[in-house]
Amino acid sequence: MNLALSDPFVLAQDYPESSTGSLRSGHACALRFNHKGDFLAAGRADGVVVIFDVETQGVACKLKGHTRQIQSLSWSRCGRYLLTSSQDWKCIVWDLQDASILQSVRFEAAVYIAELHPWNHLMFTVSLFEEQPILVDATELLTAKYNLSSAPKRDPEEKLTEKQAAADLKQTTTVSIFTATGEHIVAGTNKGWLNIIDVRTRTTIYSTKICAGVVIFLRLTSSGRDIVINSSDRIIRTIQLPNLKVDPDTIVIEVEHKFQDVVNKLSWNHVAFSSTGDYVTASTYNNHDIYIWERTHGSLVRILEGTKEEHGVVEWHPHRPMIVACGLESGRIHIWSIVPQQRWSALAPDFVEVEENVEYIEREDEFDIHPQEEIHKRRLDLEDDNVDVFTVEPIKDLDEENSFRMPVQLDLQDSEGEEEFVTIGRGEMRRKSPTAGREYMLDSEVIGSADEEPKKTGKKYRKR
Amino acid sequence: MSDYDDSADGTPAPPRRRRLYGDSENSTPRYSSPDEAGESRSYRSSKLSNRHGSADRRQSCDSDNSEEERDKPYHGHSRSRSSSRADTPRSSHPPTPPAYKPLKLNYKQKYVLKGHRKGVAQVRFSPDGRWIASCSADGTIKIWDATNGKHMRTLEGHLAGVSTISWSPDSNTIASGSDDKAIRLWHRATGKPYPVPLLGHHNYVYSLAFSPKGNMLVSGSYDEAVFLWDLRARGQMRSLPAHSDPVGGVDFIRDGTLVCSCSTDGLVRVWDTATGQCLRTLVHEDNAPVTQVRFSPNGRYILAFTLDSCIRLWDYVSGHCKKTYQGHVNTKYSLGGAFGVGGTEGFIVSGSEDGDILFWDVQNKNVAQRVSGHEGVVCWVDTCPGPTGTIASGGLDGTVRIWVDVGDEETTANSQQQDERMGDEYPQEDVDNSMDGVEVENGANCFAEDTPRDNMSVDSTPERDATGQIPDKSMEH
Repeated sequence: MNLALSDPFVLAQDYPESSTGSLRSGHACALRFNHKGDFLAAGRADGVVVIFDVETQGVACKLKGHTRQIQSLSWSRCGRYLLTSSQDWKCIVWDLQDASILQSVRFEAAVYIAELHPWNHLMFTVSLFEEQPILVDATELLTAKYNLSSAPKRDPEEKLTEKQAAADLKQTTTVSIFTATGEHIVAGTNKGWLNIIDVRTRTTIYSTKICAGVVIFLRLTSSGRDIVINSSDRIIRTIQLPNLKVDPDTIVIEVEHKFQDVVNKLSWNHVAFSSTGDYVTASTYNNHDIYIWERTHGSLVRILEGTKEEHGVVEWHPHRPMIVACGLESGRIHIWSIVPQQRWSALAPDFVEVEENVEYIEREDEFDIHPQEEIHKRRLDLEDDNVDVFTVEPIKDLDEENSFRMPVQLDLQDSEGEEEFVTIGRGEMRRKSPTAGREYMLDSEVIGSADEEPKKTGKKYRKR
Repeated sequence: MSDYDDSADGTPAPPRRRRLYGDSENSTPRYSSPDEAGESRSYRSSKLSNRHGSADRRQSCDSDNSEEERDKPYHGHSRSRSSSRADTPRSSHPPTPPAYKPLKLNYKQKYVLKGHRKGVAQVRFSPDGRWIASCSADGTIKIWDATNGKHMRTLEGHLAGVSTISWSPDSNTIASGSDDKAIRLWHRATGKPYPVPLLGHHNYVYSLAFSPKGNMLVSGSYDEAVFLWDLRARGQMRSLPAHSDPVGGVDFIRDGTLVCSCSTDGLVRVWDTATGQCLRTLVHEDNAPVTQVRFSPNGRYILAFTLDSCIRLWDYVSGHCKKTYQGHVNTKYSLGGAFGVGGTEGFIVSGSEDGDILFWDVQNKNVAQRVSGHEGVVCWVDTCPGPTGTIASGGLDGTVRIWVDVGDEETTANSQQQDERMGDEYPQEDVDNSMDGVEVENGANCFAEDTPRDNMSVDSTPERDATGQIPDKSMEH
């Protein structure tokens, strides 16, 4: 409701301009805003999921259940449920009403990325490390896991050559997401193929080779009409998703834009759409910058700087020009946004801000003296507008009465504190209390000790 | 009839006067509908123990409680304004559209809740409508059951008078601001405070409001600052460089994006919650001290209470005053009121310093009803959320009173049938014949039993502060 009073020039600003701060709770390595944009979930390297309140920039809730680094986060549309996937081979659906585990599903391999069905919080698709992707349906009492195929759809008449069959066997799905209706799954493979899978029949209805390298990441816009694809061939592609309900043979998928840095040959760690889908942002590999492109012409509009580290996951706020990204080294969550300027005329109502000097012409009766009573009476008589103090203008697709509200935990004991490690020298850190938090194995990786085994897995995932 | 249409009679009326038809020469034209004319009941005041007078809470900065104050401009304003209205019947009375039904209210006192030992500063219904919380200059907060007036709990811990309370949106937490400069959070169910109070204000905390999500609290204080608090972290999130005089009232808009604050410097400011920037300042020409502000239920207007005996409804987007409600007396104290719905029309209700409670029609600014009951200033009136239309009021006489709209059938003075009807409708209460309201004394009993007063070092703060009275220092700058 502050829109009516806000500076129109600030409102017209679509993308963030400057670094405005950072959040920290442990070493964050996965981020996701909920659909309303009031909470930011951050998955940490020690397996804890922290939910930040975007308004207060404080910790709203901590979810403890994973024992290894969090790989991905996915909110349900209502904001009540959160799906987390982790390197401990588990996916957990959390109920944020009481921060409890609604469903915990274990897999045969570590999880790359898990994504919730847009309308059913008990159904999600999982992309596993060197395994076939799985569709999990926990709607029934017994959790059902359905294997999905990574092999592209071939023309049935065409004879499958041996070479092709061998290649198909080697295909694994690296990322899979639901379309906006939830009727289809879009899956990217390690050979650069894009498969569209019907959820009901669980068959691949369409396949196309979209890029040369591994498909690292897929993300829909909030409208669900566009997909951004991050690939290991250093090119970010956007495509417009065709209507998938028609005959599968008529589906055509064409690349709309290709974003790349031809000079520096940068590869991209993570990509995200802006709130409207008009902009695409990406964090860069081995570089500190965040790039923003606009999609009408496909040009680079801004490079965000301001931090001293490489960024992993980058996310765009669902309504505001605000970008968050987590630093790979420190695990700190950096925020870019717009710093509005105080308008001085707002503080003194009888002043107006003008661009240049104005010759003031006084009104004829401006300095006439009227008796006080008459002024009062005239003023009161003028107050004959009808005022409506009760009717609330409904906000589009936002059912306020029935929407979920996360309870505010006023007795949240933040036992871990802001900094869990105390610096004792240059580059050396010590845990505050040596006994606390031992159950989280990956702590060793965070402080960079010589514990080799978990470190390896961490590296593998980062490259993939 | 006497309870209607004293609309523009701005002169302080003696409490509990028995008004007759046309008892004053300068009575204003009657705006209310003719069919209320059958009613001529006078309210017998309930038997109050004589504990008023000690609590001059919410006395505002511009007065030092002396008699000559009465001739200061604010009072003069109200008098001249009202008389001008009375002399000239309003020619431009808005032509009522055909669908418009004039607001008819018939509020009657139902319960008198006693227990506070000093004046009651604020009375607030919980958002679910089940509870009433009241805070008092005696340093306690009491929780009452809104349906039967039963005393539930007394919250003790503040070292000085409590000026303000606010319910969290889930009705489980109460925040209170006190003259001991602290803001405390309380469990509603257990009556226990959260261990660490919110500290940071340098002077009396005077007004509080929860954000609609319950994650933030805004506070206004006599140190002229407005603070935004992060309730989870119990920390000050943002300080709004608000005013050059004590901040009288603060409020959150219904979606939490705006905060409004007001001050005795005569300004109402609207702030952006997310950035902490002032987006709009509202000021009336007369620059009368603003003691309380409140957003309208839909968030499009701001209701501001000023010490020139006016309540103004501002369209804060355009910066214009849309309505001015007059008829009550408000020259010294920070009175508070609320929006309510009677039938299909909205009303605004507020207390008055002459002991009455006034109901205004939102659209045509007429006084729809005026009820008496309190002895002394009525500091605060709140409406129950939801369809019941119950109203609670608190005053300097230390009582909390619950009022209900009894509807059309109650217009006859013969109370016999009405008592039966009331018995049917409210079977849990025993109404005495005169409908004076049921005095609920259990609050006082509880207080006497379970209050170890000696562990509260009230004497560490001056007695003046406990009453909420403003020290002379604060008004000199």
